[in-house]
Amino acid sequence: MEKLIVPQFLKNPQAIRQNFQQVLKLLFGLVVYLVFMSKVFAHDPIFSPGPHVLFKEGIEVHGNVFQAKSGDEKATEFATEFKYGLSGDWVAGVELPYQKRTISDQQFSAVGDISIFTKYRFWRNDTLGRQETAAILAKVKLDTSNNELNSNAVDSIIGLTYGVESIKWYRWASIRQRFNGNINKAQLGNFQRGDITLIDFVIGYRPKLNGYREPDMVYMLELNSEFSQRNKLNGTSLVNSGGKQAFVSPGFMWTLRNMAIKGGVQIPVYSNLNGHQQNSDYRFKLSIEWHL
Amino acid sequence: MKKSNLFIFISLVGVMVISSSWATEPMQDKTENHVNTNKVLASLNNFEIRADGLACPYCAYGIEKKFKAIKGVKHIDVDLKKGLVKISSEKTVKFSEQQLKTLFSDSGFTYRSIKQVNTNLDESSLDKSNTDEKQ
Repeated sequence: MEKLIVPQFLKNPQAIRQNFQQVLKLLFGLVVYLVFMSKVFAHDPIFSPGPHVLFKEGIEVHGNVFQAKSGDEKATEFATEFKYGLSGDWVAGVELPYQKRTISDQQFSAVGDISIFTKYRFWRNDTLGRQETAAILAKVKLDTSNNELNSNAVDSIIGLTYGVESIKWYRWASIRQRFNGNINKAQLGNFQRGDITLIDFVIGYRPKLNGYREPDMVYMLELNSEFSQRNKLNGTSLVNSGGKQAFVSPGFMWTLRNMAIKGGVQIPVYSNLNGHQQNSDYRFKLSIEWHL
Repeated sequence: MKKSNLFIFISLVGVMVISSSWATEPMQDKTENHVNTNKVLASLNNFEIRADGLACPYCAYGIEKKFKAIKGVKHIDVDLKKGLVKISSEKTVKFSEQQLKTLFSDSGFTYRSIKQVNTNLDESSLDKSNTDEKQ
């Protein structure tokens, strides 16, 4: 396993003040990572949540890799998720991430914070070859890792998602609100990361319906938008933080009976970040999952 | 994105596109093994269960898993276009309406009706008079 490298300047309060831009970059990268690690279930979109859950007493094992690049920063994340179907409409799970981050020539890596999440499908309308559903979801990122690449705070997300799935076409929409916890460190003071609102719209298309035991492919196109509030340090808003971003994200989902592979790329199409911040170059995600 | 990563990604998508577009009709009509399987299936009770909400094969796996847990169920197939779950089971297996409602609800779908499709109908395999389509 790669050795954890902690930036030297993070160990020294004086150096932190001198390298405040670097600290902000790390925190910005962290926010990108946390936003990106939104839960994906079964036949849900790649970068946003859908209302899909898991069958009762079903187990889903899920492996993710994603990468986000903004200027000279690159974050690569690996995560394993385990989900359990509490009922036909309610699923809960846990996520164990590992992160790698490169800023300029420096590389950092660490085990990430454990997250727990749940989704409840509160409405379902089934007709022949079509399912229309809505669900609420919640996720809490715990403060389990004691290293500087993690936020050292408990963050939470709540969301509402709606979807229509048919044999040919898919449509989804979702809204999520991320509440970031305070980072209260002696070196940093009281640092409050801005909350984030995420709104997503997705369409999916299945060009050919194969048999139940044959490979199935669905193509997706997502429009992902993010509205971030400014960060605050000891109550003062920071100029170089917060803003709006939108992405167009082509993706696919390939399945074979109880196995699925999903992937996609987020391409930035609109960026209005406050002050001087690096715009996103791309985000990429690939995941594999099994239903057991 | 690194060129190598992009190459791997494109290759992966290519393989999956080709595999899904080359998928042909089910193999049972083409191989000797499946001809034998069909003979075995003919000696079993065959049911067609109508269910709503079936829109993707991956999501329907929960139904297969639930039926497999029932002793005597031998084969499960799903026809998404017709909203049918096809079950072959030993003659001793009986399904009740309530059991099927619960099973499909636990799988995330809506049960509608059950029909026995054997050549020699054996009504005793059904708990109730539920062989007629309800809709």
